Amino acid sequence: MNTSTTKSDYLLLFRGNIWDKGLSPEQLQKVVSDWMAWFEGLKEQGKCTGGHPLEREGKLVSGKQGRNVADGPFAESKEAIGGYFYLQVADENEAIEIAKQCPGLEYGAVVEVRPVADVCSIKQRAEELSAGQLAGATA
Amino acid sequence: MLLFRGPHWDKGLSPEELQQAMNKVMAWFEALRKGDKVKASQPLGAQGRIISGRSDGMVSDGPFAESKEAVGGYLVLLADNLNEAVEIARSNPALRYGITVEVRPVLAECPILERHPELVERVKEQLWAVAAA
Repeated sequence: MNTSTTKSDYLLLFRGNIWDKGLSPEQLQKVVSDWMAWFEGLKEQGKCTGGHPLEREGKLVSGKQGRNVADGPFAESKEAIGGYFYLQVADENEAIEIAKQCPGLEYGAVVEVRPVADVCSIKQRAEELSAGQLAGATA
Repeated sequence: MLLFRGPHWDKGLSPEELQQAMNKVMAWFEALRKGDKVKASQPLGAQGRIISGRSDGMVSDGPFAESKEAVGGYLVLLADNLNEAVEIARSNPALRYGITVEVRPVLAECPILERHPELVERVKEQLWAVAAA
């Protein structure tokens, strides 16, 4: 019988960094307290190993040799990532159930649930391709 | 935190180009790791779910795998300041293949509380009440 307790790692990305606008002080107080209590509870249960809010402003680096450095993401964005939790849970369903408890959902926050990969898929592809070439060369 | 956006930069590269690019990326990462600049870093699986909406939380597939905006991985960097983080981001070899690196300072404190310092004590009281219950 398989009694494996191997856990899967997921990242919750909290999107939307303007959902707190327009909330009353009482609502803000409640959502922040609920969020912190949620985080602490998950940590106590061993389901969350860490998490942080991100500063609103940052930089976007792109282009050959990083020649483009722009301010970003746009401060007022529904897509912008405002913070993250790192989860160690049984499976994707558990990660989704936890994401559904996010106190910000009620105010328009969006939670992206992403599995953490062991290996970079591009690295894997590069290795497969070069292994294939070696096999071809020795054949 | 560095967020690597545009996870399909390898499309259109020949096997040789891909191998070369990947070697450079791995060397870049190893040098950062040996220099004690990396706190955590992982690639993310392409599949994911988006949870939104009030009460029960609507679940949909996402993000769109082909999107240039999609986050393909992250790196929590130990840098002295934003400038150093940006310089490190600029040295990422995959930039020439079209990725964008988003550089975001990690905060210890919730930004909502930073903007509303008058709430800090009230939130603490509420948390104590929850913990005591």
